[in-house]
Amino acid sequence: MSILKVLANQLILVLLFTNNLAVPLYAQRQPHLNYQIKAVYLYNFTQFVEWPETVLPADNAPLVIGVVGEDPFGGYLDEVVQGEEINGHPLSIRRFSQTEEIQGCHILFINLPDAAKIENTLDRIKGQSVLTVSDHHEFLEKGGMIKFISVANKIQFQINPDASNSAELKISSKLLRLAEIVTLSNH
Amino acid sequence: MSNIYFAMLLKVPDFYWLFRLSSSNRSQSLVVALMIAAFFPTFFFNTAAVAQTKTDRLSTEELKKMSLEELMGLEVTTVSRRPEKLTDVASAIQVITEEDIRRSAATNLPELLRLVTNLQVTQLNSSAHIISSRGFNAAFSNKLLVMIDGRTVYSPLFAGVFWDAQQVILEDIEQIEVVSGPGGTLWGANAVNGVINIITKNSKETQGLLASLSVGSYLRNSGTLRYGGKISPNLSYRIYAQHNTRDHTFLPDGMEASDKWRISNGGFRMDWTPSPKNDITLQGNSYRGKQETPQNPSFWDGQNILGRWTHALSQNSGLMIQAYFDRTWRRDIPSTIDNELFTYDLEIQHNFALGKSHRILWGGGYRSLDDHTFNSTEFIGILPNKRHMNLLSIFVQDEIMVHPEMVVTLGTKIQHNDFTGIEIQPSSRLTWSPESTQTIWTAISRAVRTPSRIDVDYYLPTYPVPSNAPSVQGGPNFVSEKVMAYELGYRIQPDDNITLALATFFNSYDDLYSVDPLPGTLTYQIQNGVEGQSWGLEASGTWQLSQDWRMKGGYTYFDKDLQNKPESVYDVLALGNDAKHQGLLTSNMNLWGNLQLDLSMRYFGELPQPLIQEYVGFDARIAWILEESVELSVVGQNLGRKKHIEILNQIPRSLYAKVTCRF
Repeated sequence: MSILKVLANQLILVLLFTNNLAVPLYAQRQPHLNYQIKAVYLYNFTQFVEWPETVLPADNAPLVIGVVGEDPFGGYLDEVVQGEEINGHPLSIRRFSQTEEIQGCHILFINLPDAAKIENTLDRIKGQSVLTVSDHHEFLEKGGMIKFISVANKIQFQINPDASNSAELKISSKLLRLAEIVTLSNH
Repeated sequence: MSNIYFAMLLKVPDFYWLFRLSSSNRSQSLVVALMIAAFFPTFFFNTAAVAQTKTDRLSTEELKKMSLEELMGLEVTTVSRRPEKLTDVASAIQVITEEDIRRSAATNLPELLRLVTNLQVTQLNSSAHIISSRGFNAAFSNKLLVMIDGRTVYSPLFAGVFWDAQQVILEDIEQIEVVSGPGGTLWGANAVNGVINIITKNSKETQGLLASLSVGSYLRNSGTLRYGGKISPNLSYRIYAQHNTRDHTFLPDGMEASDKWRISNGGFRMDWTPSPKNDITLQGNSYRGKQETPQNPSFWDGQNILGRWTHALSQNSGLMIQAYFDRTWRRDIPSTIDNELFTYDLEIQHNFALGKSHRILWGGGYRSLDDHTFNSTEFIGILPNKRHMNLLSIFVQDEIMVHPEMVVTLGTKIQHNDFTGIEIQPSSRLTWSPESTQTIWTAISRAVRTPSRIDVDYYLPTYPVPSNAPSVQGGPNFVSEKVMAYELGYRIQPDDNITLALATFFNSYDDLYSVDPLPGTLTYQIQNGVEGQSWGLEASGTWQLSQDWRMKGGYTYFDKDLQNKPESVYDVLALGNDAKHQGLLTSNMNLWGNLQLDLSMRYFGELPQPLIQEYVGFDARIAWILEESVELSVVGQNLGRKKHIEILNQIPRSLYAKVTCRF
């Protein structure tokens, strides 16, 4: 096929299927790559963590990823989990603007600016078998489980297994092997 | 062409009297000066670049398919060019985003670069701009490295940039990074006082048809047509063409200048991802410009083509290979010289992690330059007519995480050029981020500006002259200009809606350009007779007041103190006409009913020599988004005064209307 013909076909397709290349302004822009990667990590974590049956019954109850605080992913997280299921559990996203609203999630991404609020949030969901994730620098010290870190421009993560164990979450050895393990001696 | 005239006055003021030898009155000498001026046409061109790994264009599906190991290996920056977060970077960087571009009044690159205050942008006439960073704003402004998609665009003839040949479709720019301060370690010679890195979008992101048309008073008309498509899911492309016609400015005395000009350009870009680990880009551009002059028109044209391959070797290492060819030619009338330059460039870059805390980036490059000049008069010229130049470079950089909150970056570039041999440009940088929202950084670097042909091969006149008659006979002993730069900066994001950055610097220069007579003669040679210091502060910030209102601002303070070395008599003021103060405030608002209102105000302080008054420039844009795919806008530029002078000609207030369609 000549290149011209390809061009012509493309042009017709484009004319047929254009709807809105609306010019979004400040709203809903694709998040920066680092949050795209973090969103995909969150999705991946669902495959490497086992929740107790009490919080994730065997039938097709949804596995919920929650975000508390300002949502850094835009709609990207929804795009990532759309149509996905893990062992029969469809994935869904819930957003909470405040700690008090948090309920019914299995993974919680905490995007709160100060350590006190984070501590407060972690206290609140203690004993609920929620896998807690954040990129706040003091997250593990405050009792969080997985912290995203930036190592030489790459997004990697640290895990505090003590925290996940006490929440009765089983993190697979593969995930643990890839992570940097942080144990807090005074805990 | 009058830029050259001006250049001559600025750079070789010692010769102003020379022009007068042949003419008893001022206007005649002006004519002579103009003739000389025409001199270098505008070339453009340039050199080195490092490549960019475009990992940040992965689709959601591609990301999801990756294993955890692969995710962990993803680079979130273009190899040490593209910081993941501005708060983490150890240099004075200011960024122009695609959103800034969409909401600005700018119609070309120089106007766009007014959006950051770590640059001094002065418009000389209708087509010529002088752009500098951290001082030394002169027609042959030569301490700044400018790159478009990894292709260097300064001219090795005079080590400056011909801005009238740099045409890019503004809608296709992803972002422009402006780094003030030395970038010599990674970027190479000429990055003495700053780097401008213009990055266009991957063709995946410019799919569909874009058509825009502008009509106005100074921007007479401008039309853009771009179409982007996909040949297969992994192979996308865009093709584009653009034409601009701009009206004249006014001479300092108020008369109409003969400097109307127009330029057309066209090109393509293809991006192919044959596998998740490989990215291949091929792009090319061609342009042709024409400008009226008091005599016959000036012409310039050029073509370039660039290919780049980025390959992920493993989860934490990668390779980039890039090659380009660039030809540029120009002839200014009334000109005394034609210039044609061919550049061939090859760059290789490799990065990998060493242990847990080291990240190495190293690479090298070779550039071959063939420069042909044609001197049509003996009064002035570049000799020899043909010069072949080679540039070899290697660099290495180690980013060391000494502590989770502290990164030390050590690196050096070693370059070999035909004029001065080996040049070494080391730097050390330190960032400390006590919290993810704030960073303190400091850096010490050395950088050089290697000689260009105008420093070494410049003759006035080109025939032999006895030593008791005035002449300039090149710069056989000219060596690189050098700087040691000391920088300290702070960045903070106090909350999600506010960012603030502050950078301060102290520069110590040696071996700066001068034109001095050989002892006991009137034979002048280009030498390194000046040294000095400069210092300053650059502040910038953004404030998102609400979902629909954002403000951005900046302020720059600059000062310098240059001295002649013993035996030099050169006028140090000729090295740069720099504003001490410069400020900018912009506001972008979404109003009701799909209306946008964008305002921008810039303050530009007085220039000392020649004395130019301070001025306030004011731009406004009102746009109406209609039907989501059609945008109508009315834009006013330089609304503050009917005419204002930035450095030479008077720039008029102007208005244009634009319609943009995207399908």
